[in-house]
Amino acid sequence: MSKEYSRKQFLAVAGASLGTLAVAACAGPSTDGSSAGKPSASVDWSKIKPAASISFMSSHPGKSRDTELKLIESFQKAHPNITVNLITGGANYEEVAQKFQTSQAGNEVPDVVVASDVWWFRYAVSGTILPIDDLLKAVNVSSSDYVAGLISDYKYDDSQWAVPYARSTPLFYFNKDHFKAAGVPEQAPKTWAEFAEWAPRIKAANTSSPGYQNAYQYPAIAGYAGWTLQNVLWGQGGGWSKEWDITADSEASVRALQWVQDSIVKDAWAGVSSKNAITDLQAGAVSATISSSADLATTLKAAKEANMRIGVGFLPGGSASQSPVCPTGGSGLVIATKTSPERQLAAAMFITHMTNAQNTATLSAATGYAPVSEAADISAILSQTPEFATVVDQLKVTRTQDFARTFLPGGDQELAKAATRIMNEKADVKATLTDLKGTLEAIYTKDVKPKLKS
Amino acid sequence: MAFAAPNVILIILFTYRPLITNIYFSTLDWTLGAASATSVGLGNYVEFFSSPDAANVLGVTAIFTVTTVGGARALGLLVALALNQKLKGRTFARAVVFAPYVLSGVGVGLVWLFIFDPTYGALSWFLRSLGQISPQWVNDPKLALVMIIVVYIWKNLGYCAVVYLAGLQSIPPQLMEAASLDGATSFRRFRTIVVPLLSPTTFFLLITSLLSSLQAFDIIRIMTPSGNGTSTLIFDSYVQAFGSYNRAGYSAAISVVLFAGLLIMTAVQLRFVERKVHYS
Repeated sequence: MSKEYSRKQFLAVAGASLGTLAVAACAGPSTDGSSAGKPSASVDWSKIKPAASISFMSSHPGKSRDTELKLIESFQKAHPNITVNLITGGANYEEVAQKFQTSQAGNEVPDVVVASDVWWFRYAVSGTILPIDDLLKAVNVSSSDYVAGLISDYKYDDSQWAVPYARSTPLFYFNKDHFKAAGVPEQAPKTWAEFAEWAPRIKAANTSSPGYQNAYQYPAIAGYAGWTLQNVLWGQGGGWSKEWDITADSEASVRALQWVQDSIVKDAWAGVSSKNAITDLQAGAVSATISSSADLATTLKAAKEANMRIGVGFLPGGSASQSPVCPTGGSGLVIATKTSPERQLAAAMFITHMTNAQNTATLSAATGYAPVSEAADISAILSQTPEFATVVDQLKVTRTQDFARTFLPGGDQELAKAATRIMNEKADVKATLTDLKGTLEAIYTKDVKPKLKS
Repeated sequence: MAFAAPNVILIILFTYRPLITNIYFSTLDWTLGAASATSVGLGNYVEFFSSPDAANVLGVTAIFTVTTVGGARALGLLVALALNQKLKGRTFARAVVFAPYVLSGVGVGLVWLFIFDPTYGALSWFLRSLGQISPQWVNDPKLALVMIIVVYIWKNLGYCAVVYLAGLQSIPPQLMEAASLDGATSFRRFRTIVVPLLSPTTFFLLITSLLSSLQAFDIIRIMTPSGNGTSTLIFDSYVQAFGSYNRAGYSAAISVVLFAGLLIMTAVQLRFVERKVHYS
């Protein structure tokens, strides 16, 4: 038997349902400040039994999926009671971050996650990853086993938040045939001033080749413009910031980015890649570019197949500084907070396995990432790929990135916007960088300063 | 009531509940993934409307919406008029015109990105063969907007064409014949008979295209991942939450602004534009 409802009654029932729903819907994050920040509970790890299964979310940096599977296989062989499920979290660090952060809304989060230089700090501040000092001790690994300059990148609030994994530096890649045609030395320039002298000759000598564009190609801005531009900024004595002090509009920074704009607009020997500068180089469309050392193995392979001679070198210096002008980059491995201690212990065993001396050498050989363990034996890699020596040598003269890029939420996005205006829209450099400074300072004041531990 | 209950429950759960939750989130200062947040009332809305980016985002949204809705409908009508003629291969042509609409936006974006690529793209190859240099479609924000508008119109033009074609075929042929006998030119017949009788179709397309354009995301995300010059309201909402800003509360506020805009525009169309529609 059915009951007839009038329109009024129906609306009343629907309204009441929506009202109830409105109250029920107001779930989500806690607003009483009770669950933020560093997890306080201490665990006696010696009493914990590692879980039988954990998950590892990765973007397979440097096209390393097969290598990661091999390393997982070796881990499972060494620890037959633990299974590791490899999850593809996306094509890059940003997509992995997106999935990891949205997974926090549910009950199933990945145990181990690849976190780039830009992301780990945000996870640490928002409490989604665990400080791992005690866990490292529990699995008998010391932070001194890692390359000091790389593991110290993940220190905050007197705690260690990650171990270095796929760590890279940018390299200067160049087409030796193009350089030879121009009669310039077949080597990376020592300074940008030197390259600026070579560039018009390189462009003139190769401009008749089909599809040839520029002597130098700046990496695509949608990629990591803020990362690679630090090289030019530091060389000229500038920078995006000095710790939390934003220096993007300093005289030296303005001079550096004015030079960048002139190389594209006034002198016209440089361009900006639309998608991927290293593939532009591989296609013979440009004579030189800067790209991650993670591209080394694939670039050399592609060059060999195309009968092209590609060289690599240190990043060029500037008028104020020739070294260190190379930023570190890449990613580390973090452990999620929102899992059980059993899984966290298994995760700690896994991340130390992935980054031990033997396995970091395996990853380096397959990709071009820098070895992260002090004890890594890279002699076999060097004999097979002599160019890898540049990665190792340059690693000794790297500089930690500017806070404005790595620690400010949206910092790299704002740097990219400013770079777009300067490099693609020919905007006034000084005015653009002044605006950028204001934006970055506002982000720091609102989103970072209140959350920093004193 | 009982008969409608399953649907009503599903709609409440999967449409209204997220909507209300989103409105609640828009009142929080909440970093995506964090377990805690701070209530800021209308702070996110105040910040959005007073930010220097708001004018740009709203401007890009307006340009994208007006050009894609107008362009797809105008070109769709022209194509429908052509496909309404008794031409050889007409059925095949109708299928070809409609095909892009059912293709995945991601696939369409990737293919067109290859076409527009200034280094290896098909368009750059063609321009080079004419001795010209390809414009920087992705790097130049103005050209990037033109690029995604062109692709979006291309993808949706088939939908408008097919709907218009159905509208054209429902016009009684006697009316056209009578007008011809009275000496009306083809343009006059189009203006005074076809356009008024197509007004219900045009109105339907206006509403559906407007809603779809304001929610366009896949092509923009694939072709211009940084949103350089192409940051519409929905794209900005995505970037604020899932880009490196991680501002879930602020992003929710932008979504509410978009929702309010859609609601107002639909209401205005139903209230005022529909008056000018001739249903018979």
